[in-house]
Amino acid sequence: MLEQILCIDDDPITLMLCKKVIAKSEFSKEVITAQNGEEALHHFNNLKYTNNNKAKTSKKPELIFLDLNMPVMGGWEFLDHFTSPDYTEFNNANVIVLSSTIDPDDLAKAKKYPIIIDFLSKPITQPMLEYLKKKINV
Amino acid sequence: MVKLTIFEVMKSKTLQITLIYVILSLIMALVCHSLLTAYFSKPEYLYLFLLKDILFISCTGLIFKRILSKNENKNITIFEKLKDTNEEIKESNEKYDIVAKATSDTIWDWKIQEDSINWNKGIETIFGYNQLEVGKTSKWWFDKIHPEDSIRMSIKLYSFIEQKTEKWQDQYRFKCADGTYKYVLDRGFLLKDDNGRAIRMIGAIQDITKQKEEEQRLKLLETVITQSKDSILITEANSASLKIPKIVYVNPAFSQMSGYLSNEIIGKSPNIFKGPKSDSEELKKLLKAIKNEEECLIETITYTKNKEEYWVRFSMIPIFNAEGAITHWISIQRDITDEKKLEIEKEHLIRELTQNNKDLKQFSYITSHNLRAPLSNLIGLLNLIEDIPIENEELEEILAGFNKSTHLLNETINDLVKVIIIKDNPSMQKEEVSLQEVFENVFSQLSFQIELHKPIIKLKFDRVPLLTTNKAYIESILLNLLTNSIKYKSENRKLKISITAEQIDNKAVLTFKDNGIGIDLERNRDKIFGLYQRFHNYPDSKGLGLYLVKSQVETMGGTIIIDSEVNKGTTFTITFKN
Repeated sequence: MLEQILCIDDDPITLMLCKKVIAKSEFSKEVITAQNGEEALHHFNNLKYTNNNKAKTSKKPELIFLDLNMPVMGGWEFLDHFTSPDYTEFNNANVIVLSSTIDPDDLAKAKKYPIIIDFLSKPITQPMLEYLKKKINV
Repeated sequence: MVKLTIFEVMKSKTLQITLIYVILSLIMALVCHSLLTAYFSKPEYLYLFLLKDILFISCTGLIFKRILSKNENKNITIFEKLKDTNEEIKESNEKYDIVAKATSDTIWDWKIQEDSINWNKGIETIFGYNQLEVGKTSKWWFDKIHPEDSIRMSIKLYSFIEQKTEKWQDQYRFKCADGTYKYVLDRGFLLKDDNGRAIRMIGAIQDITKQKEEEQRLKLLETVITQSKDSILITEANSASLKIPKIVYVNPAFSQMSGYLSNEIIGKSPNIFKGPKSDSEELKKLLKAIKNEEECLIETITYTKNKEEYWVRFSMIPIFNAEGAITHWISIQRDITDEKKLEIEKEHLIRELTQNNKDLKQFSYITSHNLRAPLSNLIGLLNLIEDIPIENEELEEILAGFNKSTHLLNETINDLVKVIIIKDNPSMQKEEVSLQEVFENVFSQLSFQIELHKPIIKLKFDRVPLLTTNKAYIESILLNLLTNSIKYKSENRKLKISITAEQIDNKAVLTFKDNGIGIDLERNRDKIFGLYQRFHNYPDSKGLGLYLVKSQVETMGGTIIIDSEVNKGTTFTITFKN
């Protein structure tokens, strides 16, 4: 079981669904959420700040479920920031794109980011998580 | 002394004759003297007589010789003169023969007063008349002249004979033995008597049919240039200081196009058509081609005399002589302003359409995304409910209906997404696909239905084991057709499906035949492959399958046709390039 994962999606129902399914499959102990890329980056910035000031380091997400179409900051923009040197201490986490998109350009683009280990279609399901468990050896 | 004289005698006949005369006279004198001395006895006189005779004979002999030799000299000079004249005549005759032979001209000799005319061999070799056919009078000659030419010709000829004109030469058509006419050039001169009266005329007829024909051919060819709607101009071979060479000719179409008259433009360089909007890159290309003596085609904006701009397609073609040296350039120009306008409009339209298409595509992606996102939530939530026990029966029923509808909606949306993706993917990947393998995949996906209905399926692919196509599409096509066959089978008979593949020329023909309930083509032919067209009221029929099949077949460059009869069965024939 993973310690912590981050779900980034603007749809609260999707987030609720993620939390419930993840809990059910015992995929991760903790699920934190962000409503868009910017909020997620904000979270990482906070982590960075607190880690620098306190002796005890907080948990960091081991896996990120990322939606693509979001207001304020979408998935691609988030990834561009997240893979920059500013987030070196966090970006060893794997990213899974979880989207409803059918745009072939999105699929092609996903292949260009080594950090993206999979591109899955919504909704999140228990068999999907079982498959991911095998893939990342949890 | 005597010996020497004899030698001289041998040389000249005159001397010889004189000598014989002298000797014979001397012998006579001696014989007479001997006889006289025999019969008369006074020898002293006799000697005197003898001496006198000898003297007389010698004297007459000398005179005789002189006369003779004088005469002979005269004869010799006459003879020499005659010989010279003879030789001259001979030479002149030979020359005439050579000329007559060498010339292809037909020579005629007309004695005007007697009206007798003589023709040389040319009349036979060139015009085909044998000697018997050739008339002896000038009438025969005039009769052979083309009626349209004869009046003009005879007027000119007689005015020459009457010495009103200096020279005579004329072109007319002369009839041949076979009835055809040859164009001839006839030139002649007059021989006059002491009174200056024309007595004889000698002429030479030259066959100029070939030249005339060539002239007419050239005239015809020239009309191509003069009548052409394309502008044609000819320039000199070389130019000074990096310019297009000077113009030596322009055709009327050029004047029409550019506004420059022939005399205004000849001697100038086509550089003057250059203007502010001319494409300097294209002009550089042209100058380079001129430098390299190569053919060249450019398109540029150029200017008329009134400085109006127009688009021109401009070619320069070098003309080389037999030695391979460049002699001229020919330039063909066409006003392509309208063409260019259309081209620009077309480009604009294509750009607009492409943009529209792109926008629509993006719109369909966003729409589908926005539909799929909440739908996926619904499905996710329903998945969660599955694990929660529900006691209320009514709620369970409601949830079951809710579940079914949600999944149906999801399927529909997924099918639509498929359509969008097929339409978006005209250059999909093709690979060598084994039809056997494709069917194995399809059958395994339909194993449940096949197990349930146990149709008799006949496959015959040995003719086309491999097909170059998109694997996913061909699988989807066959899956849809097979599903349809099972879905719309007849309840009265066992389902039989026969699928064959054949190679015809470079095409693979796939025939898919069943004995199902069929479709009424009379009523539905136009709608059969339409989107959301349903022909039977079956609960799980969405009217999408055949639409997808057709889209996929056409995306791969194939065609599909249907043949169906109600209650007999349906046959689909799919043709691919293979």
